[in-house]
Amino acid sequence: MPATTAETVARCQTLFDDLDFTAARAWKEAAPGRKVVGFLPVYAPLELIHAAGCLPLGIFGGGDRMEVIHGDAFYQSYICRIPRSTVELGVTGRLDFVDGMIFPFVCDVIRNLSGMWKIMFPQVWTKFFDTPQNFDPEVGGAYYIEELKELREGLERLTGRPITDAALRASILHYNENRRLVRAVYDFRANAPWKAPASEVYLLMRAGLMMPVEDHNGMLADYLDAAEAEDRPRRDNVRIAIYGSFCEQPPLNLIKSVEMAGCYVVEDDYALVNRFLTEDVPVDGDPIEALATAYLTKSVETSCKYVPREEDKGRFHIAQIRKARAEGVIYASPSFCDPALLDRPMIARRLTEAGIPHISFKYAENSGQMQPIREQAGTFADSIKLWS
Amino acid sequence: MTAIITAGIDIGSGCIKTVLFRVDGETVEWLDKDVARIRNRDPFLLTDETYDAMLARQGLCREDVAYVASTGDAEALRFATGHFYSMTTHGRGAVYLNDRARSVLDIGALNGRAIRIDDSGKVLGYRMTSQCASGSGQFLENIARYLGIAQDEIGQLSKSADAPEKVSSICAVLAETDVINMVSRGISAANILKGIHVSMATRLAKLLKAIGATEGVVQMTGGLALDEGLVAALNEALAAENMALTAQSHADAIHAGAIGAALWGAFRHQKLALLDEMAA
Repeated sequence: MPATTAETVARCQTLFDDLDFTAARAWKEAAPGRKVVGFLPVYAPLELIHAAGCLPLGIFGGGDRMEVIHGDAFYQSYICRIPRSTVELGVTGRLDFVDGMIFPFVCDVIRNLSGMWKIMFPQVWTKFFDTPQNFDPEVGGAYYIEELKELREGLERLTGRPITDAALRASILHYNENRRLVRAVYDFRANAPWKAPASEVYLLMRAGLMMPVEDHNGMLADYLDAAEAEDRPRRDNVRIAIYGSFCEQPPLNLIKSVEMAGCYVVEDDYALVNRFLTEDVPVDGDPIEALATAYLTKSVETSCKYVPREEDKGRFHIAQIRKARAEGVIYASPSFCDPALLDRPMIARRLTEAGIPHISFKYAENSGQMQPIREQAGTFADSIKLWS
Repeated sequence: MTAIITAGIDIGSGCIKTVLFRVDGETVEWLDKDVARIRNRDPFLLTDETYDAMLARQGLCREDVAYVASTGDAEALRFATGHFYSMTTHGRGAVYLNDRARSVLDIGALNGRAIRIDDSGKVLGYRMTSQCASGSGQFLENIARYLGIAQDEIGQLSKSADAPEKVSSICAVLAETDVINMVSRGISAANILKGIHVSMATRLAKLLKAIGATEGVVQMTGGLALDEGLVAALNEALAAENMALTAQSHADAIHAGAIGAALWGAFRHQKLALLDEMAA
């Protein structure tokens, strides 16, 4: 019998809350020779990790459930919180079962964290995954193919086994299915947001980055069936999109507070990873080239990706907002997040030009005071409902 | 235009205010009102009870109500159609109670806020008191209890003061200590209460200045709007600050939030119907 939404969400919440990563440890111990490879936001080609026979494990900092003591000693006070809490996870032994770590290029802070990880944990295979900022296939594309090959070789050294093209194609198929289901959940929420609250969808997506993709695909399908069948009260809320939250994640209470304040979140950029590529990756050619082409041509626009032409900045967001029929935008970014905060005025200008109401605020992953958030989001919702 | 029934439910930290309206275009008929003190009860169960009792009094059932609008701390009210924030609802409620109101002082049990509005009740700006409770009803209620005075005596007693004694206007804890010292020094209850009112009024006048309210009528709403001693002290403070503002109260001021919620609910109901029509 398929799980109810409540059962699925409870399972996701358990995974989300567990900063000892018990489920990932159990996966590793279930068979000899298994390896776990952690990755940070905002995108890593999980297909390669999966094809290597490893478990990709999303490391999204410590959230609001962990006190950072050691981590603060490694960073200045004007740096965001996710690197501090990630260091805290490492030095307190919570990641002692993780065999490899991938640090994608989000910003200089995360890049430097990869170097620190190499020094602090020399036994862990650590890779700074440098995604291109040039989208010309002959330049950035050629570079990115080499970067993917380097990642592949690193994973092969870690496991002692080659990653065959056939295995990689099989993994791409699993992740294509995952992307299809993730898009289906997002489309379902955009159509009936009262049936798929943002906090539930968020947990569903975060849990998926901590379990085998095959399990997550089943979970997503079950959730969709159950959410469709369940009758939930519909409220007169406004439909909003949330941007700026792609790396350091807001506390779950913040997501719930925005909903409580009268907003249905119908589009977001929380923890992009599994939505970074917007279409299926072809499996009929060279799989590495296919992954590279998908990144160059079929991926989301976000602050850590360079947009060469200024006039294109924000165009992706406007299209997503229109598609999701969002009535307004909350630009919620982490304190001290350079990519998000440098983007904010440019995105805000585009939103104003498009006549889309918007507000912004900042948070940290351990923000605890929700009353100002509720008040800002609530009055924003009121202004859209009554006066826009 | 068909007449519709709308309800406004304002859950505060001390009371639950419920109102019921019949709205037919521009014609608004206030059908019923209720104030229920929470007194350590579950506010949502209490809301169910008072709302159902009100509907029964009017010969209505829940299905007859086109829009149930919640406000205050009622975001989680399960049967609400929609929720509006307190500044939005108090602004609209103030204009309903007094069409000359262009600013609002909403002073409830836990905090106070000043709101600048236009003639439709649309919010143009607002400021809240800081989190310290010394500008709130709960503080005044505590002091009255220490002095052994009933709440409805506070206003008259304050107005009879002849030498108000100043209290700390910053911190509720320090202010309470001040009051204990005053009692031991033999200061009369009237002068103590007036001193508290003066302290609160000074802070409220600053809030009004901060939102740019410079002239016209300030409509007092929330539970403390019924405290005539505070209204008098506020008018004195406004005059002392040379602000061309007049603070006024209303017998139904405590219902302002619920009234605003119900009326915005009616507006929203009509707007949604119009949007549906346009979509069809």
